[in-house]
Amino acid sequence: MDIVYIVVNIIIFLAFAPLFEGIVRKLTAKVQSRQGPPVIQPYYDLIKLLGKENFIVGNWVFKLAPLMSFAAILSVICFVPLGYTANFLTQYADVITIIYLLTMGGVSILLGALSSRNTFAMMGASREMVTMIMVEPVLAMTFFVGAVKVKSLGIDATIFSVMNTGYSWAVLLMMVLYLMALQAFVGKQPFDIAEAEQEILEGPFIEYSGPNYALFKYSMMLKQMFYASLFVMVFVPFLYTGVYALDIAIQLCEIALVYVVIALVGATNPRLRIDQAVKYYAVLIVLALSAVGLSVYGI
Amino acid sequence: MNSLEKVLKTLQDKFGASITGHASPLPTRLFINIKAEKVREISNEVVALGGRYLVGIGHDNIARDGNIGMIHTFGFDKDNFIVHLNAAVPGSNPVMPSITPDIPGAGWSEREYQDLLGMKFEGHPKPKRLVVADDWPADIFPMRKEVPYNMVPPAAEDVAYQLDECPEGCSIIPVGPFHTALHEPEHFAVYVDGETIKGCDYRGFMTHRGIEKLCESQVSYNEVPFIAERICGICGSVHATAYSQAVEMAGGIPVPKRAEYIRSLLLEIERLHSHLLWLGVAGHLIGFDTVFMQSWRVREQIMWLSERITGNRKTYGMVIVGGVRRDITPEIGEDILKVCAKVEEEVKIIHKSITGDTALHKRTKGVGYLSKEEAVKWSLVGPVARARGIDIDVRRDHPYAAYSELQFNVPVVDTCDVWGTLVVRLLEIYESISLIRQIIAKMPKGEILTELSEEIPPLKHGISVVEAPRGESVHFVITGEENRPDRWRVRAPTYPNLQAIPAMLLNDQFADFPIIVGSIDPCFSCTDRVEVVNITSGRKRVMSKSEIEFISRGNM
Repeated sequence: MDIVYIVVNIIIFLAFAPLFEGIVRKLTAKVQSRQGPPVIQPYYDLIKLLGKENFIVGNWVFKLAPLMSFAAILSVICFVPLGYTANFLTQYADVITIIYLLTMGGVSILLGALSSRNTFAMMGASREMVTMIMVEPVLAMTFFVGAVKVKSLGIDATIFSVMNTGYSWAVLLMMVLYLMALQAFVGKQPFDIAEAEQEILEGPFIEYSGPNYALFKYSMMLKQMFYASLFVMVFVPFLYTGVYALDIAIQLCEIALVYVVIALVGATNPRLRIDQAVKYYAVLIVLALSAVGLSVYGI
Repeated sequence: MNSLEKVLKTLQDKFGASITGHASPLPTRLFINIKAEKVREISNEVVALGGRYLVGIGHDNIARDGNIGMIHTFGFDKDNFIVHLNAAVPGSNPVMPSITPDIPGAGWSEREYQDLLGMKFEGHPKPKRLVVADDWPADIFPMRKEVPYNMVPPAAEDVAYQLDECPEGCSIIPVGPFHTALHEPEHFAVYVDGETIKGCDYRGFMTHRGIEKLCESQVSYNEVPFIAERICGICGSVHATAYSQAVEMAGGIPVPKRAEYIRSLLLEIERLHSHLLWLGVAGHLIGFDTVFMQSWRVREQIMWLSERITGNRKTYGMVIVGGVRRDITPEIGEDILKVCAKVEEEVKIIHKSITGDTALHKRTKGVGYLSKEEAVKWSLVGPVARARGIDIDVRRDHPYAAYSELQFNVPVVDTCDVWGTLVVRLLEIYESISLIRQIIAKMPKGEILTELSEEIPPLKHGISVVEAPRGESVHFVITGEENRPDRWRVRAPTYPNLQAIPAMLLNDQFADFPIIVGSIDPCFSCTDRVEVVNITSGRKRVMSKSEIEFISRGNM
């Protein structure tokens, strides 16, 4: 019976991630006085890309990378206790596993870019790597603040720490930091530096087309939804009803609100340079460390 | 204070024997004939006196006296006059000293005539090909009169432009020939160390169409303005006005006052449109699409207005030699004022949100830095120069059309970066709106066109400068015998500004490349002088590569 929760997780993420992307696009268009594409446009995009010819410009790594990226993010999703319900896979992993799997998603983008040997892709890959190294600690600290509180690295224990033990100063600080890092997590402006269309022409993805590109695109959307849902699960778990389906519906509404924030911040900011972004991340990391410190002292 | 006489006297005192003649057909123009071997010293002296290098004009005079002429022109902006140094070298051995080592802004002018007229400039620091294609035969010089305008030399394979040597430890990032940050085919090879730019080589003129050659050999005086207008899709009226004024000056053709006011009106409408367009593009280049969409929404009203005035959204087709083609009715005048009020109101909102946006400051302040001294050295023009503390504006310094009767400010800032350019262009929008209001209020009644009844005398020189939205455009005309110019030289504002791009890029981040190049509002087609043809029939057909090659080599 437990397997149902995992299937529900995967289905919900696969079904809703493009919709949220569509909401972001529509909202951005409204901010820019445009009509904007229909909300379901990202589905069309994916379907179209999946039906196109698959151009391979590198070796076997080039083909493997999108699959790896997609697989990595799907595995993360399996562990997620969506609807405040842990499934039977959750106990086999801890938050470190999640961090590793997310890193693997980044690494596969890197591998794909490097195997294509395109100058712009290389440049994008190096930016992607810098972003990964600098942003990952913030994610790790988010987990550790909870982990310290409940003295466990278990996924459900850590993620539900706020729900079970309530807010503290450390949690509030971490919540603000998470929001500040959100655009970098999801790769939207001002931190869409690795793709930067006007400079390096979508960077790591420049040589990708058709189904391979669709996989990358899909895994980016899933990753964005994961980060949005993580925020909802960790920091705002107060609308807990105990009914599984209702909880999921409420969470999806909250995720949609997080996407509204993402869209608005994205539409009202220019892209930062990588050196400026690194300075910004550095401040976030230091503050995140102090949040963990506060948590250790139970503040 | 300088004056024509003083400049002439100083030059005569210093280089008496090398100055072979002079003429001053207008109180604001001085033509000096000099000996070619002294061109470098005399040019340096003119610059020392306060002259700003405008452009070099090469012209083939072999059929008349066996010489090829090279005219260097200098503007004296404080005192409103332009000096021409007219040198000539024999067509059999067209070698003269280069002035580029001292005046880097002349680099392209000299390279251009190396390609087009077969001249040689001794001491040029970078005597590479500039204009003609890589496979163009080395012994055919297209601007010489004996070369027919439709000549098609055989194409060659495997000929490539040799890029400058890459600095040690750097890698090359190719930006172009096609790149999203450039809207036209051009090639920058950017040498980067990590993300820091250490150098850059430029190969442009990829779609050179030879408008000057065409107009010197095929069409008549009053057909040229329509071709001139198509040099650039954004500042078309500027080119038509500048050409017409140059011919009017050379031929002594009077222009009715009302026509001058209408010309100014069109130029200001064009400026409004161009500034808003650039603001949008600049926003897009730093990944800020909201600025892009909003300023283009505001701009759209100006396009509709232009359509109501001239029948076209752009490429107005209004200006011809002797005046303009359509009148402004009182109803249209009211319409213009209404649109201006709306645009002003909306621009104020955009202005306010831009000045308050700290993220935008981060991406533009200190980016593309070029000191005032460097900017003077490279003879930058327009908002790019005014952002670097150089107080020049042709509308005020060399007044033309109706500008001498209108009041306006010239915004100048000294931040020397992209932010300064942005501020200057934003402030100029308000000045343009105020100018349009004055023009509508003051416009005199009367004729709008002087018909060309008498023949324009041949071999007269005319030069006119017009402030385009992105800087000054210079048009030089030598009148000809067959009811068409013997020589017509166009220098768009991108021509000097683009030459300084490598200096602006140095030690900046690669991420800033698009906005730095974008900050000069490059119009590559203006330097190329090419035409973009739209398919009007609405029918689409995919052309094969060989077909495109076929038509691109002059067949239709």
